[in-house]
Amino acid sequence: MSSKNPDRSVAAALASATCALLGTTAAAPVDAQEEPKWDFNTSILYYGEDEDRVQDLSFKSLSRRLFTDDRVLILGLTVDTLTGATPSGAIRQGGPQTFTRPSGNAAYTEAGGKLPLDDTFRDTRVSIAANWQQPAGDNGLVNVGFSASKEYDYLHTGLNARYAHDFNKRNTTVSSGIAYARDTIEAVGGAPVPLTPMLDVGDLSNRRGDDDKDVLDVVLGVSQVINRDLLVQANYSFSRQDGYLNNPYKVLSLVDSVTGDTLSRQPAPQGGPDGQYLFENRPDQRTQHGLYTQAKYNMGGKVVDVSYRYVTDDWDIDSHTLDLRYRWPLGDASYLEPHMRYYTQTKAEFYQVSLDAGESLPAFASPDYRLGNFDGLTAGLKYGWKTRNDNDMSVRVEWYTQSGDVPAGQLIGNQLSRDNFPDLNALIVQFSYRFSR
Amino acid sequence: MKQIIALLVLAMLAGCASMGVEPWERDVLARADMQLTADPLEAATDDHIYFSKEATSGGRGFGGGGCGCN
Repeated sequence: MSSKNPDRSVAAALASATCALLGTTAAAPVDAQEEPKWDFNTSILYYGEDEDRVQDLSFKSLSRRLFTDDRVLILGLTVDTLTGATPSGAIRQGGPQTFTRPSGNAAYTEAGGKLPLDDTFRDTRVSIAANWQQPAGDNGLVNVGFSASKEYDYLHTGLNARYAHDFNKRNTTVSSGIAYARDTIEAVGGAPVPLTPMLDVGDLSNRRGDDDKDVLDVVLGVSQVINRDLLVQANYSFSRQDGYLNNPYKVLSLVDSVTGDTLSRQPAPQGGPDGQYLFENRPDQRTQHGLYTQAKYNMGGKVVDVSYRYVTDDWDIDSHTLDLRYRWPLGDASYLEPHMRYYTQTKAEFYQVSLDAGESLPAFASPDYRLGNFDGLTAGLKYGWKTRNDNDMSVRVEWYTQSGDVPAGQLIGNQLSRDNFPDLNALIVQFSYRFSR
Repeated sequence: MKQIIALLVLAMLAGCASMGVEPWERDVLARADMQLTADPLEAATDDHIYFSKEATSGGRGFGGGGCGCN
């Protein structure tokens, strides 16, 4: 039997691997009449950016254990292996630039004309989550859980709870959820004192210990069945972050008021920066409000899934996201699903490509491209099919591009002729396998 | 303010009461591909990718995150 069904042996291997990682034991093979107790949703993901930027190879699983009376245990596990380089925040220069590494114990040089990238970016991230869901009365559903993740320089712990209540013959569902997280940033070499200079190799005098942040999320939602083929949802979300919200590795170039070029400095004999760079600083609070709407519509077996999201925050960032999926069955056992996503955001009020040495230092400044003006476009295609054992497999390939610009008023002298916001292009490939035991 | 919200919610629920289907008309809505989050693992993957690369997150559910995301 098993030799004729490689699918089954793959399922068994994945089940035992997932259970071993989660510290649980897989249920014995079930009889034909018995309801499956475990539902395993597993995937391998590759995410790769061009120009040798971030690469991520990730294993993910989401496992559901069904109990009597509709009670469900949900266990999530993610293991990410990250490599590659990430922009340091410094601007391009005509000649080479030397920087001290985030650890403070070595220096590296970026060739002239290139966007400075820090290539020591290497990390393994393990993330776990567990949720318990059960009915509350005839029309209610309660879900409580926790989440935690650890990477070399970051620790996340969180709790969450959600309650959903059905009305009108279960055609209307009103839900509310709350999540609280406490994260610790254990920056390599210690988090720098904001807006102080990058120092020579071995000089950690402007570094301090770990920092924390608290994140509170609230989501209120309503979903409504309109008719046999149409379902809609609307959510309001609130998020408040308090604490250390800086990126401890991002620096701003301190530039000449006329030429726009980075001011030079003399590095120490053991090595150090040959330009003047200051560590970024962000406000220690951020409040975000969001509106999310979604519709699912069945058109004779094909399903349109469209959503729109608007988010605004007190850092002056407004974003709009439009997402469209179209699931197109190919016979009974497979489907194609094209996907398009458009995203646009305005910059944070303190986003700055560099600091003008002729002006006094602002209270807050960050060169992080993720806080800039940009558009993101995703285009992808997924192919899914049923295996001989009625399990689900799928492969999706997507391209994500980001293109943005620095407001012209921020550019000085030679900066005007350089590409200060290079495009980001990423390839996403995900293979998923879902099975029950 | 609270009364206005309560009234709005009541009006919404009353309006919604005229929509929807009977329990025996749920064949299409019960399909896996008609669930609001049809593929939870893919949704979680996307939430994490975009959380790492864009300034805003969340909406569908909680903000996600829990990473340094350099």
